[in-house]
Amino acid sequence: MDNGMEGMLDTYLFETNSLLDQLDEMLVKDEKVGEFSSDDVNEIFRIMHTIKGSSAMMEFGSLASIAHHIEDLFFYIRDKGIDSLGAEHKKELFNLMFRSGDCLRGQVEKVENGEPLDTDMDSFSAEINQFLKKISGAATEEEPAPVQEEASGDASASNSLPDDKTAICFLHVFLEEGIGMENLRAFMIINALKECELDFRYYPEGMEANSETCAIIIEDGFYLAFDTVELASTAEDILKTQGHIRSYELVMVPVEEPKAEEKPAESHEAAPAAAAPSPAPEKKQPAAQKATASNSPVKQSLISVNLMKLDSLVNIVGEIVITESMVTSSPELAQLNRDSYDTFMKSARQLRKLTDELQDIAMSLRMVPISGVFQKMNRIVRDMKQKLNKDVRLTLVGEDTEVDKTIVDSIQDPIMHMVRNSMDHGIEDDVQERIAAGKNPQGEIILSASHTSNEVIISIADDGKGMDPDKLLQKASEKGILVKPANEYTKKEALGLIMLPGFSTNQTVTEFSGRGVGMDVVKKNVESVGGSISLSSEIGEGTTFTIKIPLTLSIMDGMKVTVGSSIFTIPIANIRQSFKITPSEIIRDENGNEMVERIGGFYPIVRLHELYGINTEVTNLEDGILLWVETSDRAFCLFVDDLIGEQQVVVKPFPAFLNCFELKNYGIGGCTILGDGNISIILDILSLHAAALENI
Amino acid sequence: MSEEKKQDEILEEIANTEENTTIERCLTFNAGGLVLYISTKYVIEIINNHTITTLPLMPPYIKGIINLRGQILPVVDIQLRMGKSETDYTSKTCIIVLDIDSVPLGIIVDSVRQMIDIDLKDVKPIPLKRQQKMLDGMVTMEDGSVFMSVDCKALADAQA
Repeated sequence: MDNGMEGMLDTYLFETNSLLDQLDEMLVKDEKVGEFSSDDVNEIFRIMHTIKGSSAMMEFGSLASIAHHIEDLFFYIRDKGIDSLGAEHKKELFNLMFRSGDCLRGQVEKVENGEPLDTDMDSFSAEINQFLKKISGAATEEEPAPVQEEASGDASASNSLPDDKTAICFLHVFLEEGIGMENLRAFMIINALKECELDFRYYPEGMEANSETCAIIIEDGFYLAFDTVELASTAEDILKTQGHIRSYELVMVPVEEPKAEEKPAESHEAAPAAAAPSPAPEKKQPAAQKATASNSPVKQSLISVNLMKLDSLVNIVGEIVITESMVTSSPELAQLNRDSYDTFMKSARQLRKLTDELQDIAMSLRMVPISGVFQKMNRIVRDMKQKLNKDVRLTLVGEDTEVDKTIVDSIQDPIMHMVRNSMDHGIEDDVQERIAAGKNPQGEIILSASHTSNEVIISIADDGKGMDPDKLLQKASEKGILVKPANEYTKKEALGLIMLPGFSTNQTVTEFSGRGVGMDVVKKNVESVGGSISLSSEIGEGTTFTIKIPLTLSIMDGMKVTVGSSIFTIPIANIRQSFKITPSEIIRDENGNEMVERIGGFYPIVRLHELYGINTEVTNLEDGILLWVETSDRAFCLFVDDLIGEQQVVVKPFPAFLNCFELKNYGIGGCTILGDGNISIILDILSLHAAALENI
Repeated sequence: MSEEKKQDEILEEIANTEENTTIERCLTFNAGGLVLYISTKYVIEIINNHTITTLPLMPPYIKGIINLRGQILPVVDIQLRMGKSETDYTSKTCIIVLDIDSVPLGIIVDSVRQMIDIDLKDVKPIPLKRQQKMLDGMVTMEDGSVFMSVDCKALADAQA
């Protein structure tokens, strides 16, 4: 396949997928109300029509045929009005639509993976047809493709040559029989001719936008009108290279007729004659109008951009920010006299403002609302509701919260898994249980997202039966994953057990959860984007999972600290406090491990210079500074030489060459280039805790 | 008969092209008291006077990372990498920036000598069994001096 085709395939997949997403969203919304609004019926009709059209053009037969049948179905519904359907039928229709959505998605996935499509779609199509028959009662005569009936009316008048005043000759082209979507195929051929910069007109007009012309083209072929014979013969050569053409013939027009009528034609016959000098814009207009009319509530002015390009843009902006501060803090500036220094600083401030703005925009480009992920959960809850026979509603809060694209991609699976868990294990199996506990018989799962200054907080809360720490402990000891006697576990620690690998509280494996991947995978996924996960649960009241994820991965606020000659950067988000201590405040355990008390809690002290083996003169705790750092549920104090200051830094990964040393496991998350060109190492508090305190 | 002749011609051609490709431009440098060379197809540039940021918990031969115009580049001391003891860096010490099959890497050498053409056919294997296999060949020059070839694949693997 050549590049053009590849590009077309990309566009096709992108378009079809977003249409299917839209369909899903609409179906879930409508099902809640138990009713299709007439707008949505039109919308579904339009979606199916588009999928049918583009699939047929890409020659994905199975997709086109399913979409075609659904289109027929909705044509009927649109015609009769949605109110003609009984409640029973509507329910069936919803199920059918969900399944067709899935079926289409399955086929699209196959296209994406380059697998061959299912050729046999007959059983599914038959099902749709049967449903159509059922809702249309015994009136079978109405059923076969109403679209074509309408079209046949228009087709009657087209046996003679089209009405074109300036044309000298016509090419009359017939397409192969039974290829489907004749109007679009004809239009593709026409486009191919236009690309060769030939000047011509074609009939029937507006075939690309009007599927009714299909019948005409099948019956009578289509016409290409040329002003000169030379043009026609060039076109003939091109036609030979095009596919799906059964035959064509060159028809000459008697010459004297058109000349006489040429003048009046321009004033009277607006359509064909005025279109003659510039056929392209005229043709596009009706199509564009149609699109805006039906799309207006959905489409925004969006373009899709390759993520790689955005990434490199963000990178460059990061470099610019750094370089800018390099220039403005350059020591040579001190040699300027006062006036020129002031002028320089003025311009520098202006530049600063602009780069800040540029940075904000660049960062916002990567931000997408989380609603896409949330909407998918609607569907999962709906499916599980039916399978598990539990009545649950999903409440979404803060769907429009914007999150970095990479984060959205990587948290979709964890969220899905947790919603499934809440549905499966969280909500009570028996409605009576809920009623007895004085709760609303309908369970509720609240999926919410919100921002703090530098984190996104996503929480999944259910009002189910909650988790019993004792049960968890018992289960964990059966599995042999307890590391200390069960009675020494706090409630928080006991709840944390479910995040350990190989832990699953459900006795039986169900279809939805308990497939071996458990909360440990969720935790790993969340941590891979720098986030953390915690949970709280009260027996009988429900469970809440909270995920905290840094807003963006590439730029963060850091505190620069020195240890010996090295400069480390610690994410500000992790720092709770920095303080100096006196020797009397240091508490030692039997092994000499140092601790300090802060606001009612005891925290271990980690000496960074000892951990990393760095030579420094500051080895007395009272000479340096302690940083109280915290991440998810781990907190400790980090001993460093001195604080330098706060700076926004661009996080850079380490070179792949160093991957084999697994720096990430030793608390080193990445590095950044400082304003003066030096490199600072960014500490990852979570893994630093693991390296310094858990492995001792 | 003609068939055979054709075959001969082809063989000769192959031999010719082989001869053409066996000559490789190499950069020679001093490190750890040896004269080493490395094919220029791996060499990007030679830099000096760079501040190296040391990384904790690294084997001694990984000196750290440098900021090469915004790119983070790991730096290896080839002398330590070969298992020799450390010597002080002088003004002649410099970093050769390499790109070994798209693994960017800098190596610290005592000094850079010159570019020479080396015929790969003249390169002999090193006839000793060693633990550290950073060198994979040796060649005697016209003036009798011996140059050794750096094994780039081994160099690109940080742990081997």
